[in-house]
Amino acid sequence: MSKESPKSRSSKARNTGVSRRSLLKASAAGAAAAATTLAAPHIRNAEAATMNIRMLIWQDYNIADTVNEFEAKYDVRVSPAFFDGNSEAFNKMKAGGTADFDLVMADGFWPRLYYRDGLIQPMNEELLPNLANLFPDFAPPAYNLLLDKPGGVRIGANNCWGSYGITMNLEHIAPEDRESLNIMFDEKYAGHLATGARFEENIAMAGILAATQLGTVDGPRPDGDESFNPYHLTDEELERAKELLIKQKGLLVTRYQDYDSLQKLMRPGLVWASPEFSEIYRRLTRAYEAGEIDFQVAHMLQPKEGGLGWIDSWQLSSGTTDSEAVELCHHWVNHYISNESMTRVAKIGVAPCYDVREFLPPEEVSLLLMDRTVELRGLHMFDQPSSPEKWERVWSEVEAA
Amino acid sequence: MARRRLGPEGRFLLMALPGAIFVVVFLLLPILSIIVFSFWRTESYTLIPDWNLDNYATLFGTTTYMTFLLRSFTTAVVVSLASLVYAWPVAYFIAKHGDRYRLLLVLALAAPFFTGIILRVTGIQGVMGPVGVINLGLMNYGLQPIDFIMYTQTAVGIGVTYLFIPFMVTAVYLSLLNFDFELLEVAKINGAKPWRAFIEITWPLNWMGTVIGLVLVFIPSMAESITPRFLGGPNAASFGQVLGLQFGETGTWALGSAMGVLLFAVSSLVILLMWRTVNLQRSGFTGGGH
Repeated sequence: MSKESPKSRSSKARNTGVSRRSLLKASAAGAAAAATTLAAPHIRNAEAATMNIRMLIWQDYNIADTVNEFEAKYDVRVSPAFFDGNSEAFNKMKAGGTADFDLVMADGFWPRLYYRDGLIQPMNEELLPNLANLFPDFAPPAYNLLLDKPGGVRIGANNCWGSYGITMNLEHIAPEDRESLNIMFDEKYAGHLATGARFEENIAMAGILAATQLGTVDGPRPDGDESFNPYHLTDEELERAKELLIKQKGLLVTRYQDYDSLQKLMRPGLVWASPEFSEIYRRLTRAYEAGEIDFQVAHMLQPKEGGLGWIDSWQLSSGTTDSEAVELCHHWVNHYISNESMTRVAKIGVAPCYDVREFLPPEEVSLLLMDRTVELRGLHMFDQPSSPEKWERVWSEVEAA
Repeated sequence: MARRRLGPEGRFLLMALPGAIFVVVFLLLPILSIIVFSFWRTESYTLIPDWNLDNYATLFGTTTYMTFLLRSFTTAVVVSLASLVYAWPVAYFIAKHGDRYRLLLVLALAAPFFTGIILRVTGIQGVMGPVGVINLGLMNYGLQPIDFIMYTQTAVGIGVTYLFIPFMVTAVYLSLLNFDFELLEVAKINGAKPWRAFIEITWPLNWMGTVIGLVLVFIPSMAESITPRFLGGPNAASFGQVLGLQFGETGTWALGSAMGVLLFAVSSLVILLMWRTVNLQRSGFTGGGH
């Protein structure tokens, strides 16, 4: 860059017709810019003081009290974004989400898939002392899916658990049908059944029944699996599952989009059975106990053919590399899985993986299935379909049939 | 100091630039990208640039996706015609008899747009649902509830019509605003019956507004995905709904892109066919500068 004398600058100003007023304006602007530049390090420091935890989570878990407490304690901001399904969150993280989010939630087998694809990083158990309060059924060795492999590194911190069980109206569902998946495919109940809109769980549930009918549950498994996994079906099982789902369409009132829609159908007795995350079971049980409805409901946590279950958990994005941010994310997770926070989660109707029974009334403990944690061991965990492309074709064929 | 002023060409470019940038960034580039993606493939949620025609073979080689397309096309045609039948008398009434309340009446038609689409669709559930206002009313009088107005293709048709009728009313109304109603008086003086005057004068001179309304209703109806999700049952999945699934849950973006290209092609073809029916001179079109 060449240097110019004051004289030459003045002469140039005259030659280019710049007025004194505009020169003064330019000087003032320059001074302001210089002052801003000088102050910039301090401004940057002030911005850095308010760190931001960006998380991709299930919307239910965005609890204001928990967020406010943490923000006040650590002088940080917590920014949630939401997703509706594991594959949606996984897609977001694959499409550059590791740069956009510090934390992501995932269910069942999904954390291992995230880890395999380099989307998340190991977590430091020493920074998560509240893990000590886990129900034993959700901790290794009983539950290993939050380790990269049995005995391996921790890749997530448990949050809540549940099944994708079947809630049924005991006034209409015969006692002999109350323990089988067949209930969802039984013509006897035509016009009084509903299912969720989630394509993976619909196919997986039909897949369990298909494999049972075909007698292939204990046979050789594809994809190197040691035991049956309804998300890794053989072509024969998948074809049978498709047939079952096509047949089921004629029996359904609808595929509900949200809890409220299902409640509007089950409460007046229009729908008698539907797979769901036990939320409607809780709402209707409370309604029955309050004398608002005159029928009882039950929730089939694990059908005799096998059922679907989930443990959702917190994962640390691989894009979060700053050590201070990594530590802060651990603090957030540890804060979220504290007894106080988990009690709040229980009060919104989701069963925590942590033993907070002493903080809840006995009827809530029962409704949240917190005395049935051992049943999780027999459930098939939510997973990624072995071939999303193949499963998409199957689902589209079902929808078009 | 002498200032350089922009010439006519410069001013034209300056004014055209924002529109051109908008079209390039928000229309051409996205379309170009989905065209490119439609020739790739996806594997376990990963888009792989492996050029092939498989997605189109899947779309056209089976009846599956054509079923969705036909379902949506039929819905869009029925919805467009139903909107047309409903919108004309309403727009005609407002344009001819609305007087100083015209603007208020048109705004009243747009009132549903003050809320989000999901809220509006959920509102329909409350009216047409199995225990909605209609069925509760029927049951209250000891009558059988109507079950075909919820979780069926009919319900989707009703819902989509409700959503897009304001577009049609507005388009026809704006056309009628420029229509000289005196022409009808002339026709009457010359012995034409009202119906004939409508067929021979009002309808053709407002055909352009009607076509714009038809296009404004047909195109979003064809791509509609929210209404079938909430109001359609297990037999009402639409093309737009299945297309949305490809970019969300199933992560099969390449197939979704091919579906997007097909939807764009069908919509463009419909617009082209509709436009060919417009006779600018007969429609009373006075633009063009000549």
